[in-house]
Amino acid sequence: MEPLYRLEAVGKRYGEKEVLDIPGLEIREGSFHFLTGPNGSGKTTLLSILAFLLRPTSGALYYAGRRVEWKGETLVALRREVTLLHQSPYLFDGTVFSNVAYGLKVRGIDGGAGKERIDKALKMVGLEGFGDRRARALSGGEMQRVALARALVLAPRALLLDEPLANVDRESAEVIRGVIAGLPARGTTVIMATHDPGRAGGQNDELIRLEEGRISRAPSDGREWEKR
Amino acid sequence: MDFLLDSLRAALHLIEMRDPAFCHAVWTSLYVSFWSIILAALLGIPAGLAVGLSDFPLKRTVITGLNSLMAVPTVLIGLLVYGFISRQGPFGGFGLLFTPSAIIVGDALLAAPIVANLALSSVRGAHAAILPTAMTLGGDRLQSVLTLVSEVRFSMMAAVIAGFGRVVSEVGVAMMLGGNILGYTRTMTTAIALETSKGEFALGIALGIVLMAVALAVNVIFQFLQRK
Repeated sequence: MEPLYRLEAVGKRYGEKEVLDIPGLEIREGSFHFLTGPNGSGKTTLLSILAFLLRPTSGALYYAGRRVEWKGETLVALRREVTLLHQSPYLFDGTVFSNVAYGLKVRGIDGGAGKERIDKALKMVGLEGFGDRRARALSGGEMQRVALARALVLAPRALLLDEPLANVDRESAEVIRGVIAGLPARGTTVIMATHDPGRAGGQNDELIRLEEGRISRAPSDGREWEKR
Repeated sequence: MDFLLDSLRAALHLIEMRDPAFCHAVWTSLYVSFWSIILAALLGIPAGLAVGLSDFPLKRTVITGLNSLMAVPTVLIGLLVYGFISRQGPFGGFGLLFTPSAIIVGDALLAAPIVANLALSSVRGAHAAILPTAMTLGGDRLQSVLTLVSEVRFSMMAAVIAGFGRVVSEVGVAMMLGGNILGYTRTMTTAIALETSKGEFALGIALGIVLMAVALAVNVIFQFLQRK
């Protein structure tokens, strides 16, 4: 079966500095991957590439069997299949409802069907009845849950999460952990950057470890990769 | 001191009596300032966004040029536009010289660099996560930029208000391109300049009071919108 993502010799440089160098990597559809590594190891860069927000300097990225061309309209279509949840999510000025509705609105989904999906997404993250609240007046954990609902409402094929449990209270962390753990069963591919996979993991999770932009442990191989 | 107090009393009387010359100068000022700032915003905001959101060779030079244009003397703009719209100029056939439209064109050119520079500053000062968030939620380039503009709308409004302040208070363009024709192109500032040179302080002070009131009203409205 064709993997959802396939990376071939993907590299990213900022000027002279090489921040990512991945000879090869495959991510199966419907899988749950942890992306670990110390600060500055390239986790956010890799997630941004997988979210089609950042173009690699070299190499090829294949998504659902097709090579990503990094061109305007193709990119918009690809971005609408995948959502990245940032570590410190930016909530737009407005209500919780308008934030969660954003992705639907840009896709031209308004009215009843949209509202139903928004209510369902807010319920999933335990924020029923929060729709009319000002998004930026919420606590850090609640804001992270709004951002998660904003991603979930789009039913993305892949959900990429950058340290979603950092800086959130215990209750919010429990909710977020519970929601994302259930996503692969619905067919959603989850790739989650975290310092602490043990706190969020399930039985079928796979681990990708990055060190200085290079993979030191790949999914399913169960062994530390030899550092080059 | 008595002389100033007498002038102030006479000015208040003129305001109270709604002197036709006084009312027309106020109306002309507001009319040309309104349309010129609309034009300046239509030119300046897209220019500021384009420079702020794209990378191109000589970007730094363009920014320096925009900064320099903010300091261009009003009489120089007046002279330049005069050259284009006078009978011998390329647009002489339109008969714009010494009409309110000529002042609108000149004032728009005067305010556009101010609006563009402040719009550019707004974009550069905006939260770095706004565009990636809009894009990962599925926004195309235009939708994402409009979201950015919406998020920094108060800075954009401040840019427009700064431009309005510049055009409503300038004399050079209005004098050179409008000709200070009583009941037609005489603005508050050209009337103040003329009346003061004639030693008629009452009308000048009355217009000065209105000018201050306009500036105050615009800022009060802006503060009100910001709180909303």
